[in-house]
Amino acid sequence: MIAQIKINFDLCKDPLLCRQCLSVCPSVVFVCGPTKIWKGRETDPQEYRIFGRYLDKCSGCGDCVKVCPTGAVDLGFLPKEQLAQRYQEERIAQLKERNS
Amino acid sequence: MCWVCEKYGNGEKWYLNPENYARRLYKVRKEGREASGADADPQAAGMGAGVVAELVKARISGDLKWEEEIKRDALEHAYQTHFGQVVTLDEYLQILDIAYPLVKMTCGCRRVQRGMPDEENFTCMGIGPGMYKWERWPETYRGGVEFLTPEEAKQWAMMNHKEGRVQTVDVFGTPYIGGLCQCEYPGCVAVRNRLDYDFKFLLKGHTVAKVDREKCTGCKSCLGRCQFKSLNLEVYTNKAYVDMDQCFGCGLCITACPSGAIELLDRESLPGLAENW
Ligand code: SF4
Ligand code: SF4
Ligand code: SF4
Ligand code: SF4
Ligand code: SF4
Repeated sequence: MIAQIKINFDLCKDPLLCRQCLSVCPSVVFVCGPTKIWKGRETDPQEYRIFGRYLDKCSGCGDCVKVCPTGAVDLGFLPKEQLAQRYQEERIAQLKERNS
Repeated sequence: MCWVCEKYGNGEKWYLNPENYARRLYKVRKEGREASGADADPQAAGMGAGVVAELVKARISGDLKWEEEIKRDALEHAYQTHFGQVVTLDEYLQILDIAYPLVKMTCGCRRVQRGMPDEENFTCMGIGPGMYKWERWPETYRGGVEFLTPEEAKQWAMMNHKEGRVQTVDVFGTPYIGGLCQCEYPGCVAVRNRLDYDFKFLLKGHTVAKVDREKCTGCKSCLGRCQFKSLNLEVYTNKAYVDMDQCFGCGLCITACPSGAIELLDRESLPGLAENW
């Protein structure tokens, strides 16, 4: 099974300040970055977003859900074959578009 | 010599060639970026964020050709703009005599992957003329910068080596070297992506570690030093084992060995590894 992680950005408002899930994850699945970069000033904390990125590394231990103080982490699992098929279809569409 | 040396080394290792730190190149980079409309800062752009999301998909789908294509396209771009290579502490100290100015700054990778707070995260070094203009892109230098004298920078570099961080040179607009990094697995995006996805954004160094099996006493002091999963104890013979094929040549294990049982060899001197970057 492969993890599918959704973060509710209405609940997770300042991930850099909170950073509980980033810090606890034994597999470093999350990344947290600025969605905008400005000339002359730092990015506002509200413009930072957290994502489940290294999904193939997630063990499913559930620590991220446990530590999140706002309940923003939605952790689910899909069978690997099902996802593989979805991505293979995406890939076929991508190749088709390229060759058209 | 790796391909970067062949192209930009001028007969030397490329990162010891002073030309690759020159203001002239910094200017070229700026114009190139602005001309191409890339307004984001180089560090964020270089993290390869979108690439990794694609790579993970390709991995899950089991489509090796797709994975290879993603890497090939991404690296073609990266090698012209932003990539890194492992260097030894000796080389690092030589670079500190070439590059100027030198500033301590926060590490983007550990912020991205672990959310490290700025106060605890000054593990990166920005170098060269671009540092005078750091205030134009404060997000890249989040938490500010601290200018160091070459002597202070050397002390700091040695401290980092001692604590066990891998040292690398980083390019911002090839071949302009704009950063010196102290990295580790998995906190460093470059090390992580190289080990977990074989994404060669980070190149191996010009040296390789080799254990002298006669001298090794099996004391285990070196264990735990390797950030590249290349070092363990062969329990049955009670000797340290370096996977030379996988070794990045950082030299961290050597510093920890009280018996002088690990040697850093020139990669070039090993026909079987000479092209293994
Ligand atoms: S379930 Fe565990 S491994 Fe997966 S993202 Fe959460 S903390 Fe990390
Ligand atoms: S623990 Fe929850 S609120 Fe905190 S950064 Fe992670 S997702 Fe956001
Ligand atoms: S390459 Fe190393 S020091 Fe530089 S930002 Fe990444 S982890 Fe930090
Ligand atoms: S085996 Fe030693 S030199 Fe090689 S990567 Fe590991 S610590 Fe560095
Ligand atoms: S520190 Fe040196 S002597 Fe001790 S196990 Fe490692 S290589 Fe052998």
